[in-house]
Amino acid sequence: MTVYESDLPGVGKKFEVELNDGSQLVIVIHNTGKRELFLRESPDADSEKLFELSDRLSRQVGTIMEGAYFQPIRTETIDTVLSDDTLIEWVKLTVDSPLVGKTLAESQVRQRVGVSVVAVQRGDETVSNPGADFAVEEGDTLVVIGGQDACREFQEYATAESATDE
Amino acid sequence: MAAMELWQVGALFVSIAVAGTIATRVGLSVIPLYVVVGMLVGPNVLGRYASEFAVPSGDIVTILAEIGIVLLLFFLGLEFSLDRLLEARRRITGVGLLDLGVNFPVGVGLGLLFGWSLLESALLGGIVYISSSAVITKSLIDLGWIANSESEPMLGTLVFEDLFIAIYLAVVAALVGGSGGLETALTDVAVAVAFLGVLLAGVWFGGPLFERLFDADSSELFVLRVLAVAVFVAGIALAIGVSEAVAAFFVGMGFSSTDHVERIERLLTPVRDIFAAVFFFYIGLGTDPLLVATTVGILAIAVVATTPTKIVSGFFSGRIYGLDDRRSLRVGFGMVTRGEFSLIIATVAATGNGPVMTQVIPAFAVGYVLVMSILGTVLMQYSEVFEGVLQRRRSETTS
Repeated sequence: MTVYESDLPGVGKKFEVELNDGSQLVIVIHNTGKRELFLRESPDADSEKLFELSDRLSRQVGTIMEGAYFQPIRTETIDTVLSDDTLIEWVKLTVDSPLVGKTLAESQVRQRVGVSVVAVQRGDETVSNPGADFAVEEGDTLVVIGGQDACREFQEYATAESATDE
Repeated sequence: MAAMELWQVGALFVSIAVAGTIATRVGLSVIPLYVVVGMLVGPNVLGRYASEFAVPSGDIVTILAEIGIVLLLFFLGLEFSLDRLLEARRRITGVGLLDLGVNFPVGVGLGLLFGWSLLESALLGGIVYISSSAVITKSLIDLGWIANSESEPMLGTLVFEDLFIAIYLAVVAALVGGSGGLETALTDVAVAVAFLGVLLAGVWFGGPLFERLFDADSSELFVLRVLAVAVFVAGIALAIGVSEAVAAFFVGMGFSSTDHVERIERLLTPVRDIFAAVFFFYIGLGTDPLLVATTVGILAIAVVATTPTKIVSGFFSGRIYGLDDRRSLRVGFGMVTRGEFSLIIATVAATGNGPVMTQVIPAFAVGYVLVMSILGTVLMQYSEVFEGVLQRRRSETTS
C-alpha cells in the first residue's frame, strides 16, 4: 500500500491511498479539523466526493476501522503503528498462557522480550499503567508497546502459540 | 469623517449579512457582493437620495477595515511556513516566476500605455498580477478540485504570490507614502526594511518565546493575546510609515512555526472573516459607481488583456507539475480570480497623490475585482464545457 502525502497551503493536508483495484482513496484533512473523503476511479479521473466528517466523528470512525472495538480476523491481536518500527499491540491472554496468575514483576516481560505493558483491559475495566505487582488473569487483554519483533515475540509467548507451533 | 451611531454599525452588519446570504444562494463568491452592497448603502448611492439612512464611511468602519487587512495578512503569514516552501521550492519557484513574469509586466505595460507614471503603473501591475487566495481556495474546496492534482500548482502559485505581495507592499507603501524626491523615498524604504528586519529577527528567534507567551489555557485569553500582538505590531508599523499589512504578515509567520497554528485557525478564523467582510464593505463605501463608470474603458482593456495571460501562465504552470491539457486548463481558469490583495493595493494607492492614485486606481480596482472574481468563479464552474472543446480539438488534430 502506498500513501502519498501532500501539503495544501491554506487548506490542510491531502493523503492519497492506493487501493487494490487501481483506484485511489483521497483524504483531505482541513486545518479546521474537517475530513473530506474522495474516491478517484483511476489516476486520470476526477475525484468524486464520498462524504465529509467532523474532527470528532472521524476519530471515532477511525478507531472503529482500526479494530479497537471489534476485530473479526484475529481477536487476540490488534496493532497500531506508531512509527516504522514501534507498535502498540493488544494481546488477549489464553488459558495456557505462562503469564496467567503471575504479577508483571514475576513474569519479567520487559526484560525477557523488550515490550512494556502500558494498560490491562479486564472486562469493561481498563487499568492504565499497571504496577509491577499487578497480577494478570486469564482473559485479560494486555496493551503493550514495543518494537515490531518484540511485539510478535511477546504475542507468541503470552498466548503460548510457540508451544503449539513447534 | 462622520461619527457613527450604533444603529449605523448595525445597518453595516445587516447589509453584509444580506450580501453574504445572496452570494451563497446564487453560488457566487462573497467578496464582490460585500463590495457592491457597501457601494449601494454608502454615501455615494443611498447617500445621494436619502443621506439620513446611508451608512457613513466613518472612523469606526475605517478602523474595523484596517483590522480586517491585518487579519487577512496575519493568516497568510500563519500559513506560510518557510520549511514547506523550501521543500517544494523548485516547482513553486518555477510556477511562481512564470506567473509573475507573464502577468505583472502586462499590468505595468497597460499603465504606461494609459500614460501613467512608473509608480502608478507598478501599482496597476500588482493589482492585475495578484490572484485571490481567499476566493480560489474556497472555489477549490466547493468544486472538490482540492482532491485533484490541479490544486497543487494553483496553491503553489498562490504561496509564491503571497510572499511576493508581502515584499511588494512593503516597497510600494514606502514609495507611495514618500513625500516625493528620491532621497526621502529611499529613506522611507530603508525605514521599512529596518523595521521588517527587526520583525524578521523576531520571527527567527522568537519561536520559543511565542510558544510560551501564548500558552494560555483559556480560549478567551488566547484569542485576546494573539489579536493584541497582531494589531499592536501592525499599528506601530503603520504609525512609522510601514505597511501594516506586511507587519501583520510577519507576525503571522512568527506563529507559523509554533504549535499554536491549529488553535489560532480554529478560534480566529471567524474573527478574521468578520473583519475581512467589513474591509470589503468599506471598499464599497468609499467607491462611487459613477467614478467606476468613468474607468470602464481601461477596465475593459485590462480585463481583455489580463484574463488570457492568467489562463496561459496557469496552463503552463500545470505543465510544470506534469498535468495533462485538461487539468492544466483548469489551473489557468482557476487563477483568473483577483480579489482581496488587489483591493489592498488600491487602498495603498489611495494614500498617494494625484488623481490617478487617489481616484482612478481605487475605482478601477473595484470594477476589476468585481469582473474578475465573477468571471473566474464562472470559468471554474463551467470548465468542463471548455475542457470538452479542448479535447475535441486535440482529437481532431491527432486523427
